[in-house]
Parts: sequence; structure tokens; C-alpha cells
Amino acid sequence: MDFMFFLQLTLSGILVGGIYALLALGIVLLYKASGIFNFAQGDMTALGAFAAWSLMTWAIDAGLASLQVPIMIIGVIILAFIVAFIVEHFMLRPLIGQPVIVALMLTICLGMAISGVVTVIWPGPGRVLPPLIPTGSFNIGPISLSMGNLTSFIVCMILFGICVLFFQKTKLGLAMRGTSEDQQLAQSVGIKVTVIFFACWFIAQLLGTFSGVLVGSVHILDRGTLAAFGARAFPAVLLGGLESIPGALIGGFIIGWVEMLSGGYLDKALGGGAGEIMPFIIMLIILIFRPYGLFGYKRIERI
Amino acid sequence: MKRPCGTFDTDYGQDMAIARTRFQWIVGIVAALIFFVVMPFFTSTDMLSKINIIGIAIIAALGLNILTGYCGQLNFGHSGFIAVGAYITGILITHLGWNWWATVPVAALGTALIGLIFGLPSLRIKGFYIAVTTLAAFYIIMFIIIRSENLTGGIYGLNIGTVQLGNIIFDNEQKFFYLIMFFLVLLTFFAKNIVRGRIGRAFIAIRDNDLAAELMGINIFKYKLLAFAICSAYAGIAGSLFAAYYGYISAEQFTFRESIWYIGYIIVGGMGTIAGTFFGVIFLKVLESIVTGFAPDLSSLLPVLGSQLISGLMIIMFSIVVILFLIFEPRGLYHRWELAKTTIRLWPFLY
Repeated sequence: MDFMFFLQLTLSGILVGGIYALLALGIVLLYKASGIFNFAQGDMTALGAFAAWSLMTWAIDAGLASLQVPIMIIGVIILAFIVAFIVEHFMLRPLIGQPVIVALMLTICLGMAISGVVTVIWPGPGRVLPPLIPTGSFNIGPISLSMGNLTSFIVCMILFGICVLFFQKTKLGLAMRGTSEDQQLAQSVGIKVTVIFFACWFIAQLLGTFSGVLVGSVHILDRGTLAAFGARAFPAVLLGGLESIPGALIGGFIIGWVEMLSGGYLDKALGGGAGEIMPFIIMLIILIFRPYGLFGYKRIERI
Repeated sequence: MKRPCGTFDTDYGQDMAIARTRFQWIVGIVAALIFFVVMPFFTSTDMLSKINIIGIAIIAALGLNILTGYCGQLNFGHSGFIAVGAYITGILITHLGWNWWATVPVAALGTALIGLIFGLPSLRIKGFYIAVTTLAAFYIIMFIIIRSENLTGGIYGLNIGTVQLGNIIFDNEQKFFYLIMFFLVLLTFFAKNIVRGRIGRAFIAIRDNDLAAELMGINIFKYKLLAFAICSAYAGIAGSLFAAYYGYISAEQFTFRESIWYIGYIIVGGMGTIAGTFFGVIFLKVLESIVTGFAPDLSSLLPVLGSQLISGLMIIMFSIVVILFLIFEPRGLYHRWELAKTTIRLWPFLY
């Protein structure tokens, strides 16, 4: 019984971890290509998810209920395009040559601005997305898992796989990897670094949107829930290591697992909410022993 | 720094002086007299309360500027540290019946201790990693505050009551003005003396290149922890004042967004300058009150935008201001101020 409880928590933790992995992937891709840690990922998630909600309700109101998913996907691609254009063109381009800390502050302020826009456009309580993925639960022996979590996990893994394939196999992905090695060298062999940055932000916004829609379908679409998911993507990234794509996956799983375990075992003792805090504590402990995360590069510094 | 023509430093003391020329002394003393003696009795209570809030924010931002601006360690948990100070004061007053004045040093030391604990990872990690560990610090602190209901009152918060000194009861804005300004002046001089002395130079060396600083014989661990301790002590004192000023504290008053605002203050003002902290806080707070003043008209004009318009607009405006500063003047308002002074001193010559 006790072991079954553990197994139950482990499995549902890994299912939840899929979404963290997807969010972490957005951050890692951006970091690898441009050296910018994107603190706005959580807010970009909220923006995308609320925009998707608007598009889908609009489609249903206009009598196009059967087309709601294609309309949503086209809409969020356009949105990602706009966001990436604004960020790359007006914010990052003037910052070339500035210290990294400036870009970091910029992403934080960008996140704040986006969250302000979300507050103004979609005020009030949370929204309910039209049903996209199956709900309910199913049993494997004594373990019961939520159908929604399983579906979202599968979707996350498919998206993750597509991104990794894109990064490893396509020409643009190769250009991104080249840019991450050395921006000046990449430019000298004819890679347009600005285009790479644009593509990275585009992918980050798109991944954010999809994970936001998944979170919104499984739970409820409101700013607090999405912000909490976004905040837990950071420990997932740092656990796995900033430069590592497999690290993002494993970091996401570990964070989901720790969250579920501490929720299951510690909540009674602490009065709830342990799942929100344990990922951070685990991250702090691991970072003290492995400062570059589990799979990050060990930087050798020179003066 | 440029001096007025004909001013030569003949010893190191003159080089370090805050007010170097007679003109600076006169202007400084007259401005201080007007500000501290005349102003509080001729301004409205509303205005004075804004000045008080600005004063508390400046104290907290000074600490953050020492840690982030001088020592180069990012801190996203500043509002959590302020909460620690406020709650130490609150717990000592409500549970042990201490006088507020006795709780201030305890709050400063206690918060410094918490800051030390969360500063410990900074020995091994830096950059983004230290930013996220301070973010984690914020969440952990707030979790502990909300969960330890017996001490902190959980989500209901704590009532502090009024502050007394002898038989003076601090119950109106004017008295609070002098209380806050006392701490502000004291802590500003303390900060200024830290950063222009040996410790401040070590901080700057660590910020510019910590590896090189270590090679030059600076004990990085000691100075990084010291920076965290000083920053948190300032936050603790600001928290104590916050608790005294509002008379009531609850966990909702200390948000993550607030931490970002503090970073915004020092960016706009100028990182690594004490005077810049003042510029940044005053600039953004004045902007904030202007927007708050206009927002009701705007929301009556456009009722479709909804009730959360004000908070949303504030966030957008604030972040756009900080982004513009990051892009166009990353050295902040203080740099502009220096440029303006130099221009006036050299006018009409262009040399």
C-alpha cells in the first residue's frame, strides 16, 4: 500500500513534469543560442494561453467550432511572430555589446510588461478553455492516473521530440547551435545572428503557448496557476544545467516528482503547499554541490 | 568626477569628501533646513505620506544597491527580506510586548542572518544561478511566514499598534516623517561610508571580476557574505519601519513583483551609486502617483478595460520605463545628473 502510494506519486509527478520540461526547453534553447536567461517564460505562457482562449471562444461564437484548433494554432503562431519581432527588433538589438545582466533585467521587465498586458486585456477571474483533451481518470492496477495529465504529457513529449529533431537535424537548428558556440564566429561564416535570435524567441513563445494551453486544459486558465508553473520551470532548468537539452527533460521530471512526493508526504505535517516550495529547496541543495546543474557545462574562467 | 575650476585636492580626505566646496556646503545646509524644518509644516498630509513611503523604499533600495549595484550579486528576494524584518518586529511586539525601538536592531541582525544563509550558495554559483537562488529564497521565506500561523498570524497578519519614544506617540505623518528621515539620514551616511571605504572597494572589485579580485587577495567569500548581510540588514530596518508606519502587516504586502520594483529603482537611478538610489525611487514613485492620479479618469472613459486597469497599467508603465532606461541609459539618472553638472561647470566653454 505504502509502496503503491509512492508509485502513484512518482508516476503522476513525472506526468506533471512533462510540462515543466517543455517550459524549461524554451528557456534552455534561448539560453543556448543567445546567452540570455529568459525570465519572461512564465508570462509568455500566460499571454499565449489567454490568447488561445480568446481565439477558441471567438471561433465557437462564429460557428466554426470544428475549426477551433486550427484557428487557435494559426493565431498563436502569428502571436509568437509578433512577440518575437518586438523583442528581437526593439529590445535585444540595441543591447548588443551590453553586459549580460542588462539583458537579464530586460527579460524580467518584459515579463512584467506582458503580465500587465494580460491583466488589462483579460481581467478578473480565471477562464475555462473549451475541452481539448480527454478528462477523467484511469487505473493501472491500484494506481489511478488522470487522463488529462497523461494526454498533456504525451503532447509535451511529442513537442519536445520535434524541437530536439529540429535542433539536431535542420539547417536552422545547426545555425542555432553554431551561434551558441560563438556569436562572432557564427556571423563570420554567414549566419545571421539576428534571425537566429528571432527564431529562438519565436520557438520560446510557441512552446510557452502550448504548455499554457495544456496547463489551462488540465487545471484552470488563470494567471496564478500559470505563474506558479512558470516559476517552477526555473528550478527545472537550473537542476538540469543551463546548456543541456536532456537536462531540461530530466530537470522537469525531477521537479514534478519532488513536487508530488512532498505534496503527498509533507502536506499533512506542514499544512499544505509543500509541493510549491520543495522544488526550490532541492534546487538549492543540488546547486551547492553541483553549481552548474546536473548536465551543465563546467565553465573554465579566465581573466 | 569633475570639480569646479580651481579646486585642487591636496590630501586624500579632500578627495573623498562628500561636500567639497563651500558652495556645496551652503546649498546642502539650506536645502536640508528647508526640507527638514520648513517643509513638513507646509505640505499636505497626503504629500507627506507619499514622502514617508518614498523614504522607506529608499532605505530598502540602498541595501539592494550595495548588494547588486556595488557587489554585483543579483537579488530577486528583496521583498522577502523586508518581510522578514517586518515580521521580526511584529512578532516581538505582539508576542513579547517589546518596545518598537528595541526591535529595530533585532530585526536588522535577524534579517542579516537570514540573508547570510541564502547568500551562502553565492560562494559556489554566480550570475543567473544566484538570481534564481534568491528567487527561491523569496518563495521559501514567504512559505514559512504563511505557514507558521502561531507566530505570524498566517494569512490574517499581525497588528503592530503605535510606536512610542518616551511619551511621544508616533501617530501622525509629521512625526513619522522625522522618524523615517532619522533612519534614512543615518543609513545613507552609513552606506556612503561603506562604499567609499575598504569594503566598498572590495565590493566593486568583486563586481567587476571576481576571479581577478580573488587573485588580488580579496577574500571573496567574506565580502560576498558581508554584502548579503548588509543588504538584508537594510531590508530588515526598512521592514521594521514599514510595520511601524502601516501598523499592520500581512503576507500579501510582500510580493515578488515588489522585489522586481526594487531592482527597477536602482536601474533607473543608477546601479552602484548612492545618490542614484534616491533619484530612482523618487522618479518612479512620482511617476506612479501621477498614473494613479489619472487612472480613475481613464477607467471612466473606457469602462470596457475593467477594474484591474490601474494595476495592469502601472505594471506596464513601470516595466516600459525600466526597459527604456536599460536600452538608452543603462547607467541611470545619476549619470545624467553628473553630465548636467559638468556641463554647467564648463559652460560656456567646451573644453
